[in-house]
Amino acid sequence: MTTAEFGKQNWGMVVDIDKCTGCQACVLACQSENNIPLNTQDRFERGRAISWIRIERYWEGDFPDVNARFIPIMCQHCENAPCEPVCPVYATYHNAEGLNVQVYNRCVGTRYCANGCPFTVRFFNYWEPVWPESLRNHLNPDVTVRSRGIMEKCTFCVQRIRRGVRNAKKEKRDVLDGEIQTACSQACPTSALVFGNLNDKNSQVSKLKNDKRNYKLLPHLNLEQNVIYLAKVDPEKNTELHSEEHASHE
Amino acid sequence: MLTKKIYERFYDKNLNNIWKKYLNSENTTKSEPTKKWLKILIPVIGISGLGMLAVMGAFFAFIITAWWGQPVPILGFEQTVEQPISFPHTIHASTKQLEHVSETGEAMMGLGMDCTFCHRTVTTQDNAGVPAVALCTTCHAHIGSTESEDLNKIREAGGILGDNPHPINWKRVHRMPDHVRFVHEPHIRYLLENPDKIENTTSGLKQGAAGVCSTCHGDVASMEQVEQVEALKMGQCVDCHRDNNAPTDCAVCHH
Repeated sequence: MTTAEFGKQNWGMVVDIDKCTGCQACVLACQSENNIPLNTQDRFERGRAISWIRIERYWEGDFPDVNARFIPIMCQHCENAPCEPVCPVYATYHNAEGLNVQVYNRCVGTRYCANGCPFTVRFFNYWEPVWPESLRNHLNPDVTVRSRGIMEKCTFCVQRIRRGVRNAKKEKRDVLDGEIQTACSQACPTSALVFGNLNDKNSQVSKLKNDKRNYKLLPHLNLEQNVIYLAKVDPEKNTELHSEEHASHE
Repeated sequence: MLTKKIYERFYDKNLNNIWKKYLNSENTTKSEPTKKWLKILIPVIGISGLGMLAVMGAFFAFIITAWWGQPVPILGFEQTVEQPISFPHTIHASTKQLEHVSETGEAMMGLGMDCTFCHRTVTTQDNAGVPAVALCTTCHAHIGSTESEDLNKIREAGGILGDNPHPINWKRVHRMPDHVRFVHEPHIRYLLENPDKIENTTSGLKQGAAGVCSTCHGDVASMEQVEQVEALKMGQCVDCHRDNNAPTDCAVCHH
């Protein structure tokens, strides 16, 4: 067995839409893990709320036959990221582990990257983050508190990745599958979000991403995302999309 | 009004004369003899200008040294912090003969305690950790002069004297910027595996994890008051990471 090293992994996530219930646990977990400022009503109204992961809701059909569809959207960590080449100070770049990294201390706040992102998952800090006195000690010490005037986005919980790789290296072994989890995948009650190493052929994500139902968002843009979605299975229609897993249950 | 006068008296006439001198040297009119007050003013301006230049030079030298390394040790930039209790690292950690004199009047030897005795989490966690007062009072409930002001402060904080136990607000000496995550554990592990990379071992007497601290922190055992020896700037981090094939990706430290 080899020792974990930086750059050996390619981190990715598989999001099973069929399992997503739209409970928003991932949103909350992300908010508290990553020191995201509190979003007040006026920030939502001005479209300046910060939420690294969000659940988009779509209504289908007319009353009374209405279906709600949910899809969690976070940074897709594109290999061909539209946000990266536009940054004048190289504050965002793609690293050897497949992460789209945002370097807070390099960012000068031009907001070009947010304009380039087709998923609108980049958020600009329009205000200095302020927390109420009661939440003074809730901040995660592993995550930088972003100040006013810089861009932020989903990091795939890079602080957890670093810690996991460090622990594996200490014990002179590879990172085990499922050892490192992002805050959202850990919080998901239905395991709709699965995080892991795409380079490892036996990892859960590698197996899931080859599922029949797999697709990537906005495929015409050829972004080569590291986040792969599995389509929703509707028993009444789209029977051809049923995966082998589902077919065996029937 | 005054500026206008100076302009008319000095610049206008003199410039006019110089102008004429250059254009047609034959028609040069004799320039008026310089006024007495100007004779005084010009050297005064010159000397004060030189003084300003010297001040500016010193200022920029300070900025440049601070940028590339440690600021020049003047004006209280010696990198030391006054602690609430003057804890002497020498007595606790040194293994040498000290200048201190014990209660009985004997010359003291350093105790040679291991760094990890107090900074317990340094080999396992991110932060080296500052011990709780209880660890201090384990010894100092019994050891040390009862008249020592600093020791009595420790005993008060530990609840041995008085009935108001409270934590001590130690001041941080080595401070990293907020956007850097430095983790002690892997650095100590690497240096233990590669002892030839250890630097600044002037006392060189420590074994195990305590022997590697000097690489970044200097010879703390010989410091009465701990000061920052290395600049600990990003250039230094990256140099060392490059030399030792450690990752230099931004996300390794900045997240």
